[in-house]
Amino acid sequence: MCLPPDGTETHPAVMENSTDEYRIQSFDPDTQMLLKTALKDPSSVDLEKVSNIIMDQSLKDHVFSKEAGRICYTIVQAEAKQSDGNVFRRNLLNRLQREFKDREDMRARSIHEWVCYVTFICNVFDYLKVNNMPMVALVHPVYDCMLRLAQPDALKNEEEVDCLVLQLHRIGEQLEKANSQRMDELFFLLRDGFLLQEGLTSMARLLLLEILEFRAGGWMLSSTANKYYYSEISE
Amino acid sequence: MSNRTPDRRTDATSSRREHSRSGPSRWSHCRKRGVDGSMRTDEHEHTEGRHSSFTTPESSGPVSRCAAASDWGSQVEDDEMRRDLHRDLQRYRRRILAVDAPHRERKASSGSSGSCDSKEEDSLETDEGVLLRRQKQINYGKNTLAYDRYIREVPKHLRQSGVHPKTPNKFRKYSRRSWDQQIKLWRVKLHAWDPPTDNGTQEDNEEQLDFGDIMDIELDFPTLTEPAPQAARTGVMEDPEGSGTPVKVQRMDTAAASDIA
Repeated sequence: MCLPPDGTETHPAVMENSTDEYRIQSFDPDTQMLLKTALKDPSSVDLEKVSNIIMDQSLKDHVFSKEAGRICYTIVQAEAKQSDGNVFRRNLLNRLQREFKDREDMRARSIHEWVCYVTFICNVFDYLKVNNMPMVALVHPVYDCMLRLAQPDALKNEEEVDCLVLQLHRIGEQLEKANSQRMDELFFLLRDGFLLQEGLTSMARLLLLEILEFRAGGWMLSSTANKYYYSEISE
Repeated sequence: MSNRTPDRRTDATSSRREHSRSGPSRWSHCRKRGVDGSMRTDEHEHTEGRHSSFTTPESSGPVSRCAAASDWGSQVEDDEMRRDLHRDLQRYRRRILAVDAPHRERKASSGSSGSCDSKEEDSLETDEGVLLRRQKQINYGKNTLAYDRYIREVPKHLRQSGVHPKTPNKFRKYSRRSWDQQIKLWRVKLHAWDPPTDNGTQEDNEEQLDFGDIMDIELDFPTLTEPAPQAARTGVMEDPEGSGTPVKVQRMDTAAASDIA
């Protein structure tokens, strides 16, 4: 990840890079400014507020939630370097925890928001490492989310199945390394769902079959399987 | 120690508002970070009516030290501390082995026991719980303006033992009391670098340093728990004149007492 060096931040091209790199186009200009400042000079901003802004947006904007972990990572690093502080990370994690506690209500309220939440927490798990290791505190919560997505009522929604398989593609291997028992548990559910569940769309079944093969292949697809699932059919 | 429930910490904002500040403590201006973890400027910050030495360096408020942290923020921080500790421990081990290596052959030929090259290794503290606790105590001391000013003012090569405070070595085996006393003396010495107060004087800090329950000061201090300490390096002795009253800069006359420095 290349951060522009200090002093070039007023250069328009560099500013644009920041916007693109962290996908913050969807924010209003003032908020964009705030986020950019947080990236360069974290101790000068209210980091609790910044973490809430990022969290709130992640719950609304699915595109943003897919890569929001990245901007979080950069702010955490910047704060650690600048003042040896952890305020942003602490606030972010505790906010994530609060939302996690109420996830069932969230899902009942809005599947979209729930899916955004799962995407975001997985993204945070992916990017925010501690000494290059994933944060242990998040392993079980992430699994809890995955297992929820593998429940019969969730498998009926393509949106949730899609979220599940996408996250497993991105962090499945890391998750398994952290706790293989729960991964087995998850895949029992996925197999059962694929085989036995009624009411699944054919797309959902395709996604499930692909993820089953993906994991069976050691978190990658054989070239033939790849061809099956991902090549264009030329007729 | 107060009783705080872990739930308090899940909402940083409300916890700050809930627990009213009784006014700034005398030493609040010495703290680098506020209780919410953000860096302090020179503005007048309110702290709770507890002694500053009891506040954790970067947190949303005091936490019960007995209960394991249930909030993710603390869990990740503890995890990080644990990993850093293990890394430091490996580094320390490599260092002491490197130091002892040249002496190994000589000692072996003089007939001493085979563990000669691990004399330092023997008195190595490896218990994770102990190391974590010690690291936290060290962090409290380092999270002060006094420490910041000290390290900027006195570079390492200019430090004189006995005069300048030296961080206690968390990897050495010491009894609990011995360690706590070292920490206390270290922090007392650091107070010499406190920033001046508003009225321009550096206050005597006696009544502010309440090390209460962890300090059971004995005049006759036990040394190591294992047998046969070699030189004075491994022993820690109480200041012979110690009445327990902290003094800003202690004159350490005894050679052994220089270990505390």
